[in-house]
Amino acid sequence: MQIKPIAQFKNVKKKIGKKMIIDDISFDVNAGEIFGFLGPNGAGKTTAIRMLFGLVSITEGEILINGFSIKNDYEKAIASVGGIVENPEMYRYLTGYKNLVHSARMYGNITKARIDEVVALVGLDQRIKDKVKTYSLGMCQRLGLAQALLHKPTLIVLDEPTNGLDPAGIHEFRVHLRMLAEKENIAIMVSSHQLSEMELMCDRIGIIQNGKLIDIQTVNDFLAKDKAVRVTFTVDDVTKAKVSFNKMFKEQETIDKEDKISITIDSNQIPDIISAFECEGIRISGIDKQSKTLEEKFFDLTGGSGIA
Amino acid sequence: MRRMLNLIQNENMKIFRMSTYIMLGLLISIVITYGFISKNSMQRASTSTNIDWKTQLTQQNTLMQKALKQVQNQGIGAEQSSAAFKKIIKINNYRIEHNLPPEQGKTVWGFVMDLSSAISLVSLFSIIIAAGIVAREFDSGTIKFLLIKPLKRWKVLLSKYLAVLLFALDALIILFIASFLVGGIFYGLSGVSEPYLGFSNGNVTEINMLWHVFTIYAYACVNLLMMVTLAFMISSVFRNTSLAVGISLFLMFTGNVLVNLLSQYSWVKYILFSNLNLKVYTDGTPAVKGMTMTFSLLVLAAYFILFNVISWLVFIKRDVAT
Repeated sequence: MQIKPIAQFKNVKKKIGKKMIIDDISFDVNAGEIFGFLGPNGAGKTTAIRMLFGLVSITEGEILINGFSIKNDYEKAIASVGGIVENPEMYRYLTGYKNLVHSARMYGNITKARIDEVVALVGLDQRIKDKVKTYSLGMCQRLGLAQALLHKPTLIVLDEPTNGLDPAGIHEFRVHLRMLAEKENIAIMVSSHQLSEMELMCDRIGIIQNGKLIDIQTVNDFLAKDKAVRVTFTVDDVTKAKVSFNKMFKEQETIDKEDKISITIDSNQIPDIISAFECEGIRISGIDKQSKTLEEKFFDLTGGSGIA
Repeated sequence: MRRMLNLIQNENMKIFRMSTYIMLGLLISIVITYGFISKNSMQRASTSTNIDWKTQLTQQNTLMQKALKQVQNQGIGAEQSSAAFKKIIKINNYRIEHNLPPEQGKTVWGFVMDLSSAISLVSLFSIIIAAGIVAREFDSGTIKFLLIKPLKRWKVLLSKYLAVLLFALDALIILFIASFLVGGIFYGLSGVSEPYLGFSNGNVTEINMLWHVFTIYAYACVNLLMMVTLAFMISSVFRNTSLAVGISLFLMFTGNVLVNLLSQYSWVKYILFSNLNLKVYTDGTPAVKGMTMTFSLLVLAAYFILFNVISWLVFIKRDVAT
């Protein structure tokens, strides 16, 4: 499939006082993909998203949406973007329906039929005439999504969309986003600090830390790139096993405690180890393989710092 | 243009909620209450004295003549007070000659004029709405919902400003209609075509009553417009509803006190509050001697532009990072 960039960040910088909040970020979000924007709290995810929406000014660089610049051509650029920034904040004293009417009036050319359509799409038909203050967080989230879809955008940007959703809600939301990306060929950008979720939801992931974009990869590459796994053997003689390891993999660090010894190796070396142990008469009573999760990868990349 | 109407419609939808209906209900109930009170006190007055208005006015005039002589001997401030006395005497004579009973509190128009002081209540409500209209969006976080739509920020701000002015206009119309209706019910519509007696260049002139009431409202609107614009600016700058409402109301109530306290300095005439009451140039004395209508209009225009430029710049330029 042809790759068509919808949103383009080009050397975007944001400086507040002397502090670089966003430091030279460049990436594209393409049609039909879900792009994950991953980083610890305070890394600059929300600021970057606010810049895309024109809520926060761009110090340097440019953000283009369908080729229109947010800085110079705001109305045209933003016309094809829908989204939620931080929480889906609505007018709580109005009904869900009135909130949608409020949005529809701002876009100008949205029919009543279209409003009903998105309401049905997010499954809020039963409660849409109720005031938003009676909604649960999950329902607010759905109303937010309905509002974001109203004008058939080509880019949807969601900031921490699964905050406050229960596991069933998260699953439903994920299915929904996937459908929008695949069927409607919409570009979707999602930010989160929840790694496991991103692993399940996204096609590509950009990792941001201290305002810098430190890596962009597809989720599959991300997980497959290094096949190194940590293997833990449960053996009857740990000292013997350690000597054996030292012979096989010089300079490899091993961790041993009581009857367990762990080593980080390529997974196709496991049979070699088993046969080597057999030769030396070391009895193996258990093997445990741990492939690195996105989480560990993330900590590797960010150096383990939680909150920047 | 259509989009602007849509935006104003949105703002109206947000303004007209329970608390606003309560404010408007309060306004109407004040009109009705005042109707009962004034009718009641008038009845008591007429039963106790039981003299017709012509005799009353003649009595008043004789008292005025005496007071006039006393005042003229005094010297200081004589010019002003004697002019005021002369004006009342002349108007009273005109009434007796042309058989025009005084309207104050006794006809529908008198009632409407009495209640024009309730315009300050309309100001109060409009200031509360103006102070909240931008700040509340920031307080509730809905500003993000509002500003990620394909409309430039100045359009959003303008729609809010216009919506506040529309609300003030609505409230003024409600006040006018309510006081006319209640006045009509209590006093009848018989006096509706009687003129208002104005006084210019030493002569009594007949003025159409509707026009006269309109000018009373118009003068009060100058005050309203300026205070609403000030509150709107405060709302846009502070982005916090309680702070904006608090500061705006504080200024509304202390403005005149401030002018009095500072009246010894000549620069007090450049303060907004010294210029808000334009009616003093037709019948009264300005805060500082030598101030003219033109001067006040220029000062007000300068403040008007300043307030709007500040709210505009702050709203458009500042990042939304809450």
